[in-house]
Amino acid sequence: MSAILEIRNLRKRYADGTLALKDVSLRVHRGEFVAVIGPSGAGKSTLLRCINRLVEPSGGSIIVNGVDAVKASGRQIRRLRREVGMIFQQFNLVERVTVLRNVLHGRLGYRNPIAGALGLFSRQEIEEAKNILRRLGLHEQMYKRADELSGGQQQRVGIARALSQKPLIILADEPIASLDPATSETIMQILSAICREDGITCLVNLHQVDVAKRYADRIIGIRQGTVVFDGPPEALDDKAVGKVYGP
Amino acid sequence: MKRSGQLLEDLQKRKKRQIWLAAAGIVLITAWSARETDFSVVSVVRGFGEIVRFIGQDFFPPDFSAFRSLIGPAVDTICISFVAMVVGAVLSLLLSFFAAATTSPYRWLQASVRAVCSVLRNIPALIWALLLVAAYGLGTLVGTLALILTSVGTLTRAYAEILEEIDMGQVEAVRATGASWPQVIAHAVLPQFFPGFVGWSLYKLELNMRASTLIGMVGGGGLGFSIQKGLKLFQFQEVCVAILMVIVLVLTTEFITGKLRERLI
Repeated sequence: MSAILEIRNLRKRYADGTLALKDVSLRVHRGEFVAVIGPSGAGKSTLLRCINRLVEPSGGSIIVNGVDAVKASGRQIRRLRREVGMIFQQFNLVERVTVLRNVLHGRLGYRNPIAGALGLFSRQEIEEAKNILRRLGLHEQMYKRADELSGGQQQRVGIARALSQKPLIILADEPIASLDPATSETIMQILSAICREDGITCLVNLHQVDVAKRYADRIIGIRQGTVVFDGPPEALDDKAVGKVYGP
Repeated sequence: MKRSGQLLEDLQKRKKRQIWLAAAGIVLITAWSARETDFSVVSVVRGFGEIVRFIGQDFFPPDFSAFRSLIGPAVDTICISFVAMVVGAVLSLLLSFFAAATTSPYRWLQASVRAVCSVLRNIPALIWALLLVAAYGLGTLVGTLALILTSVGTLTRAYAEILEEIDMGQVEAVRATGASWPQVIAHAVLPQFFPGFVGWSLYKLELNMRASTLIGMVGGGGLGFSIQKGLKLFQFQEVCVAILMVIVLVLTTEFITGKLRERLI
């Protein structure tokens, strides 16, 4: 299996001196569904945001599909980002515009800056966005304003936006942390089913160990900016959990 | 338990004492200011009769035959206020990006834009008009320029504050799709910016409408100028019509902008 994502000796120190990532190295293979677990402040969000350069890494390398994200120029970063979808804890939809438009935002990286800024999308793109919404059971909400939707629906729009990018990788940063247990379950089912059907590689930051164990092919445990566990869900026993979360 | 009760009682006593002190202070300052400014209730009451006589006999009945000649100045007032708001809004839109902590490229630039706007805003439009009359002479141009200056001062600050309160999560999400800078501005920043932008611009139009009357009095054109002229020529019944027109204009603007705000936000 070829690695679609290879991280070597990644380090991130924030301007205030916090060392969020000490020395992280890992390889993710095409089509893997990986859960990243660890206590708050362990560096999970920073790790995900370094991959699409929403956060500037301080050192090391991140090879995404053959391109080093750490060395990428502005244009290369945008090209990289459009191949990497992202899902957020707070959904981060643009609240005042329609659901359909939020999904079309996923196409911005493929449009030239002017046409994209004016909101001109091709008929085909609009048709595809509608299909994605249909697939996620949101076709009736298409023309509603994003903030009229419930939390679970908003997160599905978040997934739809990522899908319209036709991504190689999806990064999900605590996608269920703001949702109730039942909705969380639905969102995780949708996310894992879609990634498997479409062959999308997925990295999910999670708080809940049990959810990680149920959905992931592989679990990575992070603590204080270093990888302390990396293996299949079966290998994550109480002792290993203790190593990630323990005192 | 007993000790904390005692403590609470002490605290309450101290609070009471502070309130009494504050009240005494306010009374003292008021009395002193009244003495300094020769303010006395007696002279106010005595003057009141004079005001009633002046308004009742000199201003009424309004001379509505003057209405036609006042339409031109009224239109001037509307145009001055509107143009000043639009030009001010456009300039402020550009400046606000430099004045907001979240979008300004340099800290010193942010500080200097804010400082300039503070000066523009805190010097009243009336003073600006007086200064500008010296340079440009009497006329509507002076009124427009004076209002543009204060509009830029007010709106830049207001827009910058809206920009600083934007939900950066939405911006981050659009950035994460690979969108370029103009795309991020258009799709993530503007939708959040729009309601506040419209609200503040319309409010400034209202303020301009009021201020333009005052500015007119020092030579900035419009209805204010007609009022000033009428007062000097003792044509009080014409002035009365002009004042009524100002009231109608201000109220109408308030009504229309209120309705627009409801629609758009």
